[in-house]
Amino acid sequence: MFELFTSMMKEEWRVHSTMFGSLSFALFPVMIFGIAFMGSFLIPLMQVTLPAGNLTLIVHANYLMLGIMVGGFGLLGNEVMNRRFGQASLLAYSARSLPLSEQFIFSNFVVKDTVYYFFLWVLPFGFGYIAASPFVGIPLARALLLLLTLTLSFLFGLCGVFFLSTVYARSRPALWSILLILGVGWGGLTTVTGTNPVLFFPPLLLNSAFTWANLFISCVVLALLFGVAIVLFNPESVGSEKMYKDSFTPLMRRLSFLPNPPFNAKDTLDLYRSGSLIGQTIFSFLLPLGVIWFFLALLGPFFPPHGLLFIFAITTGVIASTMYTWVTMFDTFGPYACLPVAVSTLIGSKITTFAILQVLPAIFIAAVAILSGEVVYLVPAVVLGISVSFYAVSVMAWLCGLSPNVLVYDVKVLFVYLVLVGIVLTVFTSVAFADPYFALSSVILAIPTWLLVQKAKVRWDAADPAGF
Amino acid sequence: MAIVLETKDLTKKYGDVIAVDNVSLSVEKGGLFGLLGPNGSGKTTMIKMLTGQTRPTGGSATVLGLDVVQDPVGVRGHVGIIPEQETPPSFLTAMEYLRFVAAVRKIPDIEPKAEWWFDFLDFADKKNVLCKDLSRGTRQKLMFTQAFIHEPALALIDEPLINFDPIMQDVVKDYLAGYVKKGRTIFISTHILEVAEEICSGFAILHKGTLLYTGPVAELAGRNEHLPSFFLSLVRKDRHV
Ligand SMILES: Nc1ncnc2c1ncn2[C@@H]1O[C@H](COP(=O)(O)OP(=O)(O)OP(=O)(O)O)[C@@H](O)[C@H]1O
Ligand SMILES: [Mg+2]
Repeated sequence: MFELFTSMMKEEWRVHSTMFGSLSFALFPVMIFGIAFMGSFLIPLMQVTLPAGNLTLIVHANYLMLGIMVGGFGLLGNEVMNRRFGQASLLAYSARSLPLSEQFIFSNFVVKDTVYYFFLWVLPFGFGYIAASPFVGIPLARALLLLLTLTLSFLFGLCGVFFLSTVYARSRPALWSILLILGVGWGGLTTVTGTNPVLFFPPLLLNSAFTWANLFISCVVLALLFGVAIVLFNPESVGSEKMYKDSFTPLMRRLSFLPNPPFNAKDTLDLYRSGSLIGQTIFSFLLPLGVIWFFLALLGPFFPPHGLLFIFAITTGVIASTMYTWVTMFDTFGPYACLPVAVSTLIGSKITTFAILQVLPAIFIAAVAILSGEVVYLVPAVVLGISVSFYAVSVMAWLCGLSPNVLVYDVKVLFVYLVLVGIVLTVFTSVAFADPYFALSSVILAIPTWLLVQKAKVRWDAADPAGF
Repeated sequence: MAIVLETKDLTKKYGDVIAVDNVSLSVEKGGLFGLLGPNGSGKTTMIKMLTGQTRPTGGSATVLGLDVVQDPVGVRGHVGIIPEQETPPSFLTAMEYLRFVAAVRKIPDIEPKAEWWFDFLDFADKKNVLCKDLSRGTRQKLMFTQAFIHEPALALIDEPLINFDPIMQDVVKDYLAGYVKKGRTIFISTHILEVAEEICSGFAILHKGTLLYTGPVAELAGRNEHLPSFFLSLVRKDRHV
């Protein structure tokens, strides 16, 4: 029984290591370790302006987000599974010919992914902090506790979204009901107690005061969410062989003002018909941003006036840039290879579709500006968020071409990405903190964005079209 | 006779594996040229290089006078291709996919052409079904259609018959035979030797990436030899070297 799991682990390792070399892939956690190790030395410096509790809060929020972003397993129908690496040859698919239940194969797949993410992101970060703890005078016990609570935080995000996404795949009304109940409960808790419910987040509670009872309860909740999600998971989309009338032609006509209307029309239909447009918007956009909002709100007092809005706009921009992965996940270059299409044309058209999707973050930032009573800064906030998003996507396109989901695990790629995006984030956060209207200057990012997209096109046209 | 496809010392290495090894080949206009060889002999790799889907690591190739490395998009614009594995995009219907192909290839008047193909390959009842819900054979019909709907001067097709039932195989064989009578060329990879003997005018045999033989099918008939036995003896001999 355990064989399927170990084979899947090996497969995942080979998929990545054959793509950019075992060393490069193996170095990935080493880099995360290094970042955490070095970052730990900044803690004493940061504590001057930011109380220690808030730093813990930020790190937990990051790991919760990471869990949320990778937890949407329920959205993985057969189609995405098949196309994930452009072939149906992965075990998650081919194991169906073995006398094993779908549920069993799928739970192995999910656990395998979770373990991988854990070893790639969570564990190395925790170790980096532990390794640095003697130098910065943090007791080892605290560092170990942090590793535990970060892991829990990550798992809460992952299991929570895993559960919600399988509910979504089964029944939309059920998801809406659950979200409504959660929302009302959350809002009620906030008004009744007058405190931010984030403070009741189990990993944070554990971190400030460890109790076995609390740990036990956390584990039970996680196991419940995970178990129910596995039971609810349904690999087949219901009602197959539906007839559709031609929506492609009218859509293409409506998009005829764009440079490559057939491709944009195809992308749109992919997103819409696969259910990804709504699914991804909820699980990869609204949900993580909603969560981060509550965490950031706690830090409000430490930012300059209006700082929160702009921090939020930038965060939204970074998350919105991952919409590029929504439009690239359905196809590799393979299916286009029998047509007179260059990789550069495809990259260009994917970015165009991405640009259309940017309506979502624009509306979202605007709504936040209005709701937080800072309508005067609506324009600079939206401009900042969208500029950051476009800039980040151009970096992604340059580094990863049409395969951002896969290539992010290449250390060199991730490193360059973090540096290029990190610099811009730092600069424009400071600029916006100096004066909200200065945020408008982020339009200047259009220049590097444009240059990077051109470089991306040249680079990926020259590369041998990869099969993933 | 004009040459539509020519390779010179064409080579493709995947790391240590030499998939195609110094192959020099030329194909004349008008006729069905069969690329034959056992599994893993490099047929698919040849077709991929000839259509700019992967880059040769050595040598050169021209297709319809265009260099496959310099102008892969130009090459693909003039030929029709059936890849070995690819299937049509999941979330378009069969009809929508043909409209997509027409838009990319700038084929005018797609509607009647598509209808003709739906009838001809007998899948009109599936034209509004999403490609992901089509059977393997029906997807292959669709891939066949997209390769020929613009009536290219040259079509490169990789194992096109493999998923078709016997009736459909006959329909397709007849179509291919008729297609080349109009002066067009088809480059087909297959290991169904009987079919190759029946419909091909010229052929080449690849084994472990090297070209063992190339010549017209008629030459064999002149020597009173049959393609299947010729192929087997040649490949077996090479295996013992
Ligand atoms: N992407 C790749 N990476 C590494 N090796 C490859 C790759 N593609 C093909 N090969 C190798 O190249 C050789 C030729 O493969 P190819 O697919 O061209 O054979 P084929 O003649 O089409 O076989 P078949 O009749 O089974 O379709 C094989 O040894 C194969 O293992
Ligand atoms: Mg082949």
